[in-house]
Amino acid sequence: MLAPAMAAAAILVLLPVLDTLWLSLHDVVLFRPRSRPFIGLANYARALNDPVFWESLGNSLVWVVGAVSLQFTLGFTAALLLNRSFAWRGVARALIVVPWALPSVIIGLIWTWMLDFNLGVLNNIGVRLGILAESVPWLAQSNTAMAGVILAVVWQGFPFFAVTLLAGLQAIPGELYEAASIDGAAAWGKFRHITLPGLAGVIATALLLRMIWVANSLDLILVMTGGGPGTATQTLPLHAFLTAWSGGNYGQGSALAVLLTLLLLGVVIAYIWRTRGE
Amino acid sequence: MQRRTLLTGAAATLAATPLARPHAQKSVTVRWWYHFDDPKATPDELVAAFETENPGIKIEPENIPWGGGGDYDNRMYTSIIAGNGPDTAMVKFNNLARLMEMDALTPLDKWIDAWSGKSDISADLWRLHTAPDGKRYYMPLQYVVLYLYVRLDLLAKQNLKVPTNFDEFLTAAKAMTGGEQWGFGMRGGSGGHDSWMPFVFGTGAKPEKGGFISPAALAQNRFFIDLHRVHKVCPPSAPTDAFLQIVNNLKAGRVAMTVHHISTANTMVETFGDAITAVPVPRGANGSGFATFGDGSNAVFSASKNPEAAWQWVSWLSAAKNNVLYNKVAGQMTVTTSGAANWTLHPKRFVDATVQSLPIAGVLPNMPQTADFTRVVWPQNTQKALLGQIPPDDMMQVFEKLFFG
Repeated sequence: MLAPAMAAAAILVLLPVLDTLWLSLHDVVLFRPRSRPFIGLANYARALNDPVFWESLGNSLVWVVGAVSLQFTLGFTAALLLNRSFAWRGVARALIVVPWALPSVIIGLIWTWMLDFNLGVLNNIGVRLGILAESVPWLAQSNTAMAGVILAVVWQGFPFFAVTLLAGLQAIPGELYEAASIDGAAAWGKFRHITLPGLAGVIATALLLRMIWVANSLDLILVMTGGGPGTATQTLPLHAFLTAWSGGNYGQGSALAVLLTLLLLGVVIAYIWRTRGE
Repeated sequence: MQRRTLLTGAAATLAATPLARPHAQKSVTVRWWYHFDDPKATPDELVAAFETENPGIKIEPENIPWGGGGDYDNRMYTSIIAGNGPDTAMVKFNNLARLMEMDALTPLDKWIDAWSGKSDISADLWRLHTAPDGKRYYMPLQYVVLYLYVRLDLLAKQNLKVPTNFDEFLTAAKAMTGGEQWGFGMRGGSGGHDSWMPFVFGTGAKPEKGGFISPAALAQNRFFIDLHRVHKVCPPSAPTDAFLQIVNNLKAGRVAMTVHHISTANTMVETFGDAITAVPVPRGANGSGFATFGDGSNAVFSASKNPEAAWQWVSWLSAAKNNVLYNKVAGQMTVTTSGAANWTLHPKRFVDATVQSLPIAGVLPNMPQTADFTRVVWPQNTQKALLGQIPPDDMMQVFEKLFFG
């Protein structure tokens, strides 16, 4: 019974992974199709000796930690609010999914223009309200560009946490809160001793999954900044993509992809360990 | 006898039928890959006209997504490697070296030399379309040459004349900078190498070994970077400004000058009327100059099973009236001298600025690294220099190393 699923997994997952590993050990340049010599670990050595690799790795850490922590905070807050009773709650629950449902390219373009120095609505509002003295080229400065793309991905990704945690909240028996109220527990006490423990499993799984997705994603950054200005927003997957796709160097790009996979392996193992009993 | 007569008659009848003359009636199909900037533009009219004139050839046009050039190029490379490439395709100079390295191109020299339309394409264009090995693999189809847009009304307020050299350019840019207006719309983002090249190759740098790091080259590159960092004559967003930003800033009156080409001339005239003009890019003090040539050509691939038919199509597209019709669709300049003489698609002053720039038109070195330079290496390093993260000289060192080791 498992054979078809195993075969599908082998074809769809294992073969591409093995092919990537194989490519990473060869000097594969797209426009030199007749020459792809075996070069061992040379692609890996070149990657690790390249300052851009370490810069991209640092950017990846900022990107993942910044995006996931803010998405989680905003999503958790939204989930707690949406778990309360209020008018039009159904509409609010439906609307909150909109950013999650939009394609990344569209979101990238929306935020690029919202943050634009010349025509951006955020600069316009900021200046009118006196929050900003003058327009700020958010995506053209190395010290604000990463914040700009993180802002966009937070907006895109917080509904994932909101919806997931809302489902977790609804699974916590109401009797627990009633009993706590009878015992005189305050709101903070209920949150700390009922809500958080009740959601711990969901939170851990959602965080691990989202970390993997965000660490791998490059579409939003590609659309908004292309990794710039300079390399200020260039993350590891984007570095691998540009090396392979723009540079035509599929061997080097594959080595970067394998290195990224190895780095993410810790998170993947944590996820597998967490879900092993489910 | 009767039987033999019957067979002879049958054979004669068969010989007279089209089935007996397959070559005379056989229609060949030419697959042509293309891309137009305007997604609504279509080559249907051109294809229909060609097929009417050449009933034995069927054209199968395929619109390939551009994706900044990278998507188009990589699809082309992979299709060629997979043995499923088109017979002919629109190509750019920046992939010439890679296609040559793949042995993917058919030399067109013998066909071009025998082609009746050859003399209607200028010697400057044939020069630019000659590969490093002296052969011609690309057939000219369309072109632009980058020039300088100048707001004449803003210049007149400062009692300045149109800048012709870099000193005058800086003076004008400074004079027209103030408040929410900047003298020069610099393009530091995607595609910005095109407007950087006139500044550094115009005087100083040369696209050859050692040409990026000579003292004169480094000085001229510092001049370019200083426009933003020291003189502040560009909007603060210049490091990442790309096509839309420089065009919209010029149209919105936020910048007074920018470097682009004739494809935006009509929209500028709609906005400013006679208050805007175009002139060749500034030159160095010694009169030397460099105008970036924006090419669009057709190539016939060596794997094509119908190279003659493919050549018929690409040469037809580059012939006088057909090329004018083509460029009406593509929105660029005709490559024919006769077509340019009667050009009505753009105001004359913009056509003049384009044609006058041809003698100093040039391109980046035709090397396999060129595509990576334009898409990744140039923007990354130039942006770092514009933001002060690296000295301007460092970016030139990177470029020299990329091209010449």
